Amino acid sequence: MLILRTLLFGPAHGHQIAKHIQRTTEGVLQVEHGSLYPALHRMEHKGWILSKWELAKDRNREFKYYRLTPPGRKQLVREESRWKQLAAAVATVMRPAPEDHS
Amino acid sequence: MNAWSWIGSRLSRLGVCQDREQDFHREMASHLELEAEEQEESGLSKQEAYYAAQRAFGNTALVKEDVRAIWRLVWLERILGDLRYGARVLRKNPGFTLIAVLTLALGIGANTAIFSAIDSLMLQPLPFYASDELVRIYSTKDGVPITGFANPGGPSGPDICDFAQNSHSFQKIVAYDTWRKNVSFGGSTAEPEQMRIGLVPAAYFDMLGIRPIMGRLFTEEESQEGKNYVAAISARLWRNRFARDKEILGRKIHINDEPYTIVAVLPDLIPDWLEAARPGLIDVWTPLSFPNVWSETSRGSRGFATLARMKPGVSLAQAQADLSTIAAGLAAAHPVDQGVGVVVKSLSETRAGTLRPMLFLLMGAVSLILLIACVNLANLLLARNAARQREFAMRAALGAGRGGLIGQLLAETLLLSLFGGAVGLLMAQIGLASLARMHAEYLPQLVYVRIDGRVLMFTLLASLATSLLFGLAPAFMGTRLDLVDALKQGGRSCASGGASQRFRNILVVTEMGMSLLLLVGATLLVQSIIRLEGQSLGIQQDHLLKGHIYLTKVRYPNPGAITRFSDDFAERVRSLPGVAEATVTTIYPPNNGWTQMLGLPGRPATRMQDIPTAQFGVTDFHFLRTMGIPLIRGRDFTESDTVSSPPVALISEEFRRRYFPTDDPIGQKIHVGPPQFLQIQPGENVTDASDVTVVGVIGDFKNAGLSLPPEPQITVLYCQHPLVNYGFKNIVVRTTSDPHSLESAIRGQLHAMDSDLPLAEVQTIDELVERQTGGQRFTTVLLALFALAGLALAIVGIYGVISFLVTQRKQELAVRLALGASRFNVLWLVLKQGLVMATIGAGLGLFGAWAMQKLTSGLLFGISPVDPATFAGGAFFLLGVAALACAVPGARVMQIDPAAALRED
Repeated sequence: MLILRTLLFGPAHGHQIAKHIQRTTEGVLQVEHGSLYPALHRMEHKGWILSKWELAKDRNREFKYYRLTPPGRKQLVREESRWKQLAAAVATVMRPAPEDHS
Repeated sequence: MNAWSWIGSRLSRLGVCQDREQDFHREMASHLELEAEEQEESGLSKQEAYYAAQRAFGNTALVKEDVRAIWRLVWLERILGDLRYGARVLRKNPGFTLIAVLTLALGIGANTAIFSAIDSLMLQPLPFYASDELVRIYSTKDGVPITGFANPGGPSGPDICDFAQNSHSFQKIVAYDTWRKNVSFGGSTAEPEQMRIGLVPAAYFDMLGIRPIMGRLFTEEESQEGKNYVAAISARLWRNRFARDKEILGRKIHINDEPYTIVAVLPDLIPDWLEAARPGLIDVWTPLSFPNVWSETSRGSRGFATLARMKPGVSLAQAQADLSTIAAGLAAAHPVDQGVGVVVKSLSETRAGTLRPMLFLLMGAVSLILLIACVNLANLLLARNAARQREFAMRAALGAGRGGLIGQLLAETLLLSLFGGAVGLLMAQIGLASLARMHAEYLPQLVYVRIDGRVLMFTLLASLATSLLFGLAPAFMGTRLDLVDALKQGGRSCASGGASQRFRNILVVTEMGMSLLLLVGATLLVQSIIRLEGQSLGIQQDHLLKGHIYLTKVRYPNPGAITRFSDDFAERVRSLPGVAEATVTTIYPPNNGWTQMLGLPGRPATRMQDIPTAQFGVTDFHFLRTMGIPLIRGRDFTESDTVSSPPVALISEEFRRRYFPTDDPIGQKIHVGPPQFLQIQPGENVTDASDVTVVGVIGDFKNAGLSLPPEPQITVLYCQHPLVNYGFKNIVVRTTSDPHSLESAIRGQLHAMDSDLPLAEVQTIDELVERQTGGQRFTTVLLALFALAGLALAIVGIYGVISFLVTQRKQELAVRLALGASRFNVLWLVLKQGLVMATIGAGLGLFGAWAMQKLTSGLLFGISPVDPATFAGGAFFLLGVAALACAVPGARVMQIDPAAALRED
């Protein structure tokens, strides 16, 4: 989900994705960069993302850029809603609603 | 192995795999570069930055694997790789591979052979239309099948009529029979032959779905006596005798000197077990047309073979219930039917005949062998895995998961099993072929045994199951390792896992138990066959030759003619040089098969079950002298007992014991035949109304088969009983030299009197006995072989474990020796371990044999299924052999030089 979310802002290569996740989660989710790739490739295999070697804008070097496909977008929506449900459920358990107190 | 690598390379070249590999490599490299650049910017040296990037990335090899797993048919590739590696490992250890493959081949081969027999004789569908609807019907008396000569347990004509009329489960029921008759094919073919003729109604072939190749089936009308002179012949006979003569229909053959017109040639579809109680295919059929067969007077004369087709959808149980109700009604209505019941068996179940229980026994035995083989291999693998501990540890350290290691080991065992299965199949094929050649006459059913697709399937499944069975546990045990320990341990392996050792011990115990079970079973069978063959028949068995003749009604129309011919023939044979005695008789051991109801003085019977019965037969007055049966009391038949003198009889000891326990039987009058109240007319199969006087008591001889004690026997003279003086006779000759050398001379005498009479079924009594026990002897020999194989495997197993232990404990034992233990103490330490295992195993085996007694008791003769001597002997033998097997590695202990052993590694 995090990867798909990252790609929502536009195409990115592996290193960028890793750095982005690391940055946005403020280092909480610090994973080995390597473990990113099997996930990327699995998503590519499922058709959620596409990959292409492209020249980077800022320097004269090719990187493999990943971008979201329409099915990938749908998948992101699905996963987000599921995550929200889960988060809400967890939240209710951790911080019970006020009416329970009355 | 080239094939494997070829397939492997093909697969990896499949699609874009190669490209993707490079692609990912590049992607990863760029990632690492980028990361390293960033790290460098934060102030690290180039080298440090590189390592930092690597650290941040993680295990590149693992990531590569994972990515690869997503894109490729990795599982297939891994299996192929495992197999390739397995093959390499096996090739590098030819000794181990050879032993393993041979062990497996033995187990799988034996199973394949026995399964193919079971498959052909029990499982495969019969070659007839809707064959699961076909059943046979048997009559029982007081719950046991009625014994008889031709068709044991066959019902009578009126029985079958009632079953057919009153039951709702059957489309059709037919009765049929086979008779020995003299057949002459006319023309130039010389001597007539005695053949078994099928006597069948028109519906018989219909029911089996057999259509003639040419001609027509019998009509209903032809079942009436007088219109029955038509015959159907087999395609076999048509080929061999008539050279496929297209004009065969309408030609005549002579059966018992009467002409029959050939109306049909039938395809060779009917197997011999269906028609004849004894081996031999039927080649000629004529309509079943006995007079009075269906009339009420024949209700008691049972002995027809039956064939019935159930209505579609009717189960065997329903048919059985249906007929049982009818039989209960008949038993109540007819005095002669009291206690008579009925059993329905599916036709396919009757196929294996007496071989059936034996096949089950053998299947059990070979399953045990396969289990023992598996246990042995499991042990072998455990030992090998222990030795390969370092290899596994190394591979685990390099990133192999436990699943990968187990998969690798299973691939090895799978290869072994498949090899073993292939070799086993070969062995089974050779074994079956040679058995079929060796014992064709004892076990005609073996002819039908084939290795076909189903058997191949079975072998394949057995191999796969085997590889799992013996491969799984060692694989799990072997791969449960503590990396650091295993690597550190180096060569010094003092105590390898206690769990694995315990498991090995359990395996050996099981193996010992199973092999003892086999050993005891085989010993019991061997003893029982020795007793069966070794028992006295009650006669002087040696130098007795017997032959069968049939005097046809056409040429010998009355009892007087039969008597004259028989007496003359015996006299001529007696005059031959080399002949000591000769008798014409219907009786010869070990089977008589002619039972008569009797009326005894002072014992009026009013109920069926009270009617005394005895084995009955007719002879001339040379009977006792020829057979060598002792006369116990009274007198033998003499020349003065003639047609006109009062009829006399000889009774056996058993007869006297049962029916004259207190009185003197000599001079008593016995009525031979059913009592008045049964209202059976004298005639076919019923003796004259006249009573016989007992003149002598003779010794018992076997008359109810080899495995049963002699039944009461009453013997009379054929000349005095015209109503039972049939044309069926045997000549029994006592010779002074090799019996078979006289065969042609005897035949010559017969042909001098009647050139058209065949002398059939010529064999010595010894041969007769041998043939009767042939099937059993054969299975016994097989079982004994299996037991030996099982024992050998078990011994190898215990030897292997003990020598492995000795190797492992070498240092410990050396320490003990160094500390002052005597060598015998140390030897005992080793021996004890083996003996404890063997003893526990023996206990289990004996318990198993005890638990199986219900299954085995039916197959044994003259010995208890829990015979204490056999049990004890088997157990001690096993312990002894096990001790020997342990002593060999034990001897190595004796030679340990403590100093040298301790200095090792």
